[in-house]
Amino acid sequence: MSAVCVLTPVVVASWPAISAAVAAAAASMGFAVAAPQLHKERKPDRRQVETLLADSTVLAESFRPGDRIRVQKGDVTVEVGQDARGRCTVCVSGSGLSDRELRQIGDEVAGRIVQQYTYHKLLTELKARQFQVTGEEVLADRSIRVRVRL
Amino acid sequence: MTRPEFEIVIGADGKVTVTVHGARGKKCLEYADLVRDIVGREEQRRLTADYYAPDGQVRIDAQVNQHRT
Repeated sequence: MSAVCVLTPVVVASWPAISAAVAAAAASMGFAVAAPQLHKERKPDRRQVETLLADSTVLAESFRPGDRIRVQKGDVTVEVGQDARGRCTVCVSGSGLSDRELRQIGDEVAGRIVQQYTYHKLLTELKARQFQVTGEEVLADRSIRVRVRL
Repeated sequence: MTRPEFEIVIGADGKVTVTVHGARGKKCLEYADLVRDIVGREEQRRLTADYYAPDGQVRIDAQVNQHRT
């Protein structure tokens, strides 16, 4: 080897691209995409925590106010949307869980969304530059290892 | 000449570690920059001994012919 780089992804994408990354991340964590909730009824025992997808921007022209994607696993619901500044928000709610536990789930989901987005972007861009994927595997810590060759 | 190869590990938290194999010097940096430009922001870069190796390989075949007269 001759160089090793550590990179932090910057997510700048259309809403459909982010929705696709959310769906892929959710599926890899055992969540299922749920129908949008038209009328929000707040149960008293249900806590809610919101976190941001760091370094993210949803392209304004691809987003309509109210666009959200909702995924569910058991009693835990995660809604991904956009805040007023165009950043991606991840809102986790559930019963019987502390704010700390909900935040932990939110952070995990956020990381996996970035992972899926980066995976697809990298492969698309490298293939467009004539690189070939020579190997791919999911490691025990849920990292994705890809080998590409020119 | 070996073809450049990347090993890319995308962590569950989204962080990306890229290892460039089979490229040296300026070419190696160009490949590292290419991946950085696709992904986003560089946090850390480490160059290994291979990076400083000369680009070309020189092969010397020596043969000694002894002719006794």
